[in-house]
Amino acid sequence: MNKENILEVKDLRVNIHMMEGELTAVRGVNFEIKKGETLGLVGESGCGKSLTCKAILAINDKKCEASGSIKFNSDESGEVEILDLDPKGDAIRNIRGKQISMIFQEPMVAFSPMYTIGNQINECTRLHITKDKKKSKEISMSVMKKVGIANVEKRYNQYPHEFSGGMLQRALIAMALVCNPKMLIADEPTTALDVTIQAQILELMKSLQKDFNTAILFITHDLGVVAKMCDRVAVMYLGKIVESADTETIYANPLHPYTKGLIGSVHKIGGSRDERLFSIEGTVPLAMNLPIRCGFYDRCTVAIDGLCNKAEPELVEIEPGHKIACFACDHEKCKAECERARKEIAEREKRERRKVEIEAQEAAMAPKKKKLFGRRA
Amino acid sequence: MSKKTRSKEDYYLASQWTLMARKLKKHKLAKISLLVLAILYIGALFADVLAPYGLDTFDSLYKDTAPTKIRCVYEGEFVGPYVFKKVKTTDKKTYTVNVYEDTSEYYKIGLFEHGEEYKILGLIRSDIHLFGVKEGSNGGTGAKVFLFGADSLGRDIFSRVLLGSQISLTIPFASAIISFFLGITIGSVSGYFGGAVDMVIQRIIEVIGAVPQIPLWMALSAAIPAGISTIKIYLYITIILSFINWTGMARIVRGKFLSLKNEDYVMAARLAGVSTWKIIWKHLVPGFMSYLIVSLTLGIPGSIVGETSMSYLGLGIKSPATSWGVLLQEASSVTDVATNPHKLIPIIFVTVTVLAYNFLGDGLRDAADPYK
Amino acid sequence: MDTNVNVAENMNSKKPKSTFFEVLKDFFGKDLVRYIIRRVLMFIPTIFLVSILVFFVIQLPPGDYVSAHISALASEGEILTEDEAEAMRAEYGLDKPVIVQYGMWIRDIIWTPTDSQYYRIHHSHHNWKYSFAFGKNVWDVVEERLGITILVTSIIMIFQYAVSIPIAIYSSTHQYSVGDYVFSVIGFLGTAIPNFILAIVLMYLSYKWTGKANVGLFSQDMMVNGIHWYNFGEFLKRLIIPIIVIGTSGTCGIIRSIRAQMLDEIGRQYTLTARAKGVKERKIVMKYCFRAAINPTVSGLGGILSSLFSGSTVTALVLNMQIQGPQLLQALLTQDMYLAGAIVMIQATLVVVGILLSDIALAFLDPRIRYSGGSR
Repeated sequence: MNKENILEVKDLRVNIHMMEGELTAVRGVNFEIKKGETLGLVGESGCGKSLTCKAILAINDKKCEASGSIKFNSDESGEVEILDLDPKGDAIRNIRGKQISMIFQEPMVAFSPMYTIGNQINECTRLHITKDKKKSKEISMSVMKKVGIANVEKRYNQYPHEFSGGMLQRALIAMALVCNPKMLIADEPTTALDVTIQAQILELMKSLQKDFNTAILFITHDLGVVAKMCDRVAVMYLGKIVESADTETIYANPLHPYTKGLIGSVHKIGGSRDERLFSIEGTVPLAMNLPIRCGFYDRCTVAIDGLCNKAEPELVEIEPGHKIACFACDHEKCKAECERARKEIAEREKRERRKVEIEAQEAAMAPKKKKLFGRRA
Repeated sequence: MSKKTRSKEDYYLASQWTLMARKLKKHKLAKISLLVLAILYIGALFADVLAPYGLDTFDSLYKDTAPTKIRCVYEGEFVGPYVFKKVKTTDKKTYTVNVYEDTSEYYKIGLFEHGEEYKILGLIRSDIHLFGVKEGSNGGTGAKVFLFGADSLGRDIFSRVLLGSQISLTIPFASAIISFFLGITIGSVSGYFGGAVDMVIQRIIEVIGAVPQIPLWMALSAAIPAGISTIKIYLYITIILSFINWTGMARIVRGKFLSLKNEDYVMAARLAGVSTWKIIWKHLVPGFMSYLIVSLTLGIPGSIVGETSMSYLGLGIKSPATSWGVLLQEASSVTDVATNPHKLIPIIFVTVTVLAYNFLGDGLRDAADPYK
Repeated sequence: MDTNVNVAENMNSKKPKSTFFEVLKDFFGKDLVRYIIRRVLMFIPTIFLVSILVFFVIQLPPGDYVSAHISALASEGEILTEDEAEAMRAEYGLDKPVIVQYGMWIRDIIWTPTDSQYYRIHHSHHNWKYSFAFGKNVWDVVEERLGITILVTSIIMIFQYAVSIPIAIYSSTHQYSVGDYVFSVIGFLGTAIPNFILAIVLMYLSYKWTGKANVGLFSQDMMVNGIHWYNFGEFLKRLIIPIIVIGTSGTCGIIRSIRAQMLDEIGRQYTLTARAKGVKERKIVMKYCFRAAINPTVSGLGGILSSLFSGSTVTALVLNMQIQGPQLLQALLTQDMYLAGAIVMIQATLVVVGILLSDIALAFLDPRIRYSGGSR
């Protein structure tokens, strides 16, 4: 593992066991985050962003099963493979909240209504920093002050329902930062808030990141926020990363049609009024029994028939730091990927043809009587 | 369009009820329960045909007898299912009565035997019973078959369970339907209008809920005049049950109304000039009907147990009418249970019915839950 | 009523700023006090309506005690004349309109003046009227069994909670495990088998195994000497079957409701937040899930009390327990209306008090209720 990286995710897959069958929500995701860096993970709802970050903390549902590798560079115990840890054990609990913490999407439901905000923030402090009641309360309060909660003495003893949404999000951030974590996962932290509050919270996170030198995995579907917050961006679609690069490159030179669509659908100030806002047709398909093809095929405007609907593109690095998974890209490395896929398709079709022949033969050999009583297929 | 996408489309376009039915089909326990209930109700419908004897037919020879043994092999020869006849002799010396099985003659059990007359569904006169005892091998008559044994008067418990189910299965159902409509009406009025109306209805619900059910029931049952006809008793009990049970439904409906009445679509309907009753029945109630049906189903078992308990105490259905509770009066002491355990057989029917309703309700609840 | 007085005291002690009150104020906040006052005030009209319902119900049976008594006498060969019957009715106030009868009934229960004949004889301000069948004051009849009824009911209630809460926690944290299924099946059977049959079967089994038929709540010794510490064990032994019979049906309900609530809470976002903080699984279950899941159960306390009275009534008849249930049935059958009225009224009042207490307890447990002033 690279010493500069704090987290390396390799070929992460998350399967969900459902009554209807197996749903592969995350289908082989690779990324890494450097110390102190902010990585934006962008995608529509249902593309597997949230499951990815829950997998990092091993707090996924019982029904979810993660495989692959998530390596965390812990200060205390060196390199740790998170997926190998017992999700209920002490080792992972020592990472959660202390070294990696998480800010959730909806601050309104992230706190238990039964206990005061202070109690819930302090719980984290007492778990990971000090058992001393007075000291831990002091620490908790100072962090609350730091995130911009006024009148901390009073606020500390108030219940979540006495807080506004923005204040709750601040409290949630305070709870996440109280132990000085090395890494912060922010799962759409501003989606539930209105725009002015959103800007405040983002500013706050940025300044706190500077103070604590925290790496942030920032999950969002809002490209405006990404431009403001992130050093690098990974675009996710249907459980896979389809393009990743630094923020500037992504905005200046998006290559994947999905990324292009995403950027195109953001309203630009100064754009023509008559211009229609671009939108990507359709929705993300359900990741169950997926056929072998590019996940974006149905919605893609530049799809190549016979290729995109028969093989799935792999992520290739076309320039240092810029990766893309698309057949319909003019870059030479993508062309090479096309060639590989073509070969694969040809081979598979050959195999299938043979299988059909064998079946036909067997059917011809089988005694006819059976057909009389056999069920119609 | 491929087959798969079409089925997916179906899924999105299907109505709430189709979805529920589809999910219910996957729920094995609920499906079995539905089947069991169907069998029980069909059994009640055709009880007269299925039961070999009438409600009050008795044979004092057979007092308290255990279920009749049905044999197939007579003196080493297979003759099909048959029974022996019970005979009574008096010992002239000690003057004691001996009842024993006469093994000298066997009585075959036949299907569709003629027996007592009855009317199917109160309409068609008939005397054919599903099964009965034929003439003896030597031409004798008078043998009886008691599948579940006989009670203290020598009446067939099997027949009485079947005939009793006509009351035990329908009273809770009927009262559930009545309290269902009462609950929806009163609950919706309370929730929709709010204010003083709501306040008064809420107090009434609270008060009825505060009086413990069985004592309230006992008090109400004590008011049933003695010596009235079976149908009247039936009506009284149904009304008492509905009177006690509507409050729960009303409370649920009110809660739903409070949360739904400010939805935009209700406002839209009101602005369009739709009448209040139409808004309630067309726009609001269908929105949580599935939920109500679930609580309806889960409410029935309580009524069944309640009716059984009351009849058992002599406060519900009274003789000559018969329900499962009345049958269980025979098992009212430890001695009864110890000497005649077969008298507990009706309890199996009560338990099975209650379990079936519970499982069906659970299945319906899971099916109605859109998040499952 | 006590709560009301306390609250009033708190209000009065506001002026001289005592530190004690400061602490109290900080702890409860004003909303809670206001909420409790409102709940206590609502208690009064509810009880009033309950009394109307009760009186209406005991009036329902056709005829009255006098006619029942006359037919009883007639069967013994003694025949009363119309005049004698009328005189008897007048004596008990049964000749007056129902509303007047109700008014007299409720007035005497609330307050019988010191100069009344009743007070002179019984030294009590609460006249529950006369039990025709027992030939005694209703209160004297009721009193005999009230204590034991409350004792038995309380023991069963404690049993219910003590058994159902751990099982519910286990079942919800081990959803779809073997244990969960076993408890569910037992639970379903418990609700499906009517109490009285379960009672008889258990009696039979205990008779078979121990050779003793422990009918009734008291041994010969207890009848004579009363319940003391030395025979309390025997008393508890006799309570085993009633506890199992009456307790199980309620227990299943509580288990199912807590289990469903727990499952709901386990899926909540804040449970996930707590887990992401590194809180121990056990603590998550107890601090976050259980604490929130218990609320509906606490608020259902009144209902549970009500179902206990119901359940114990039927069971007591079968097991020949010396509690109020059988007494009530007797009173109803003999048209002993004032006794029946008193028993139902007392039980209903206990239930309403239970509802009141559980609402107040809920306000302490759930900060949201305090805040919203309980407008549920």
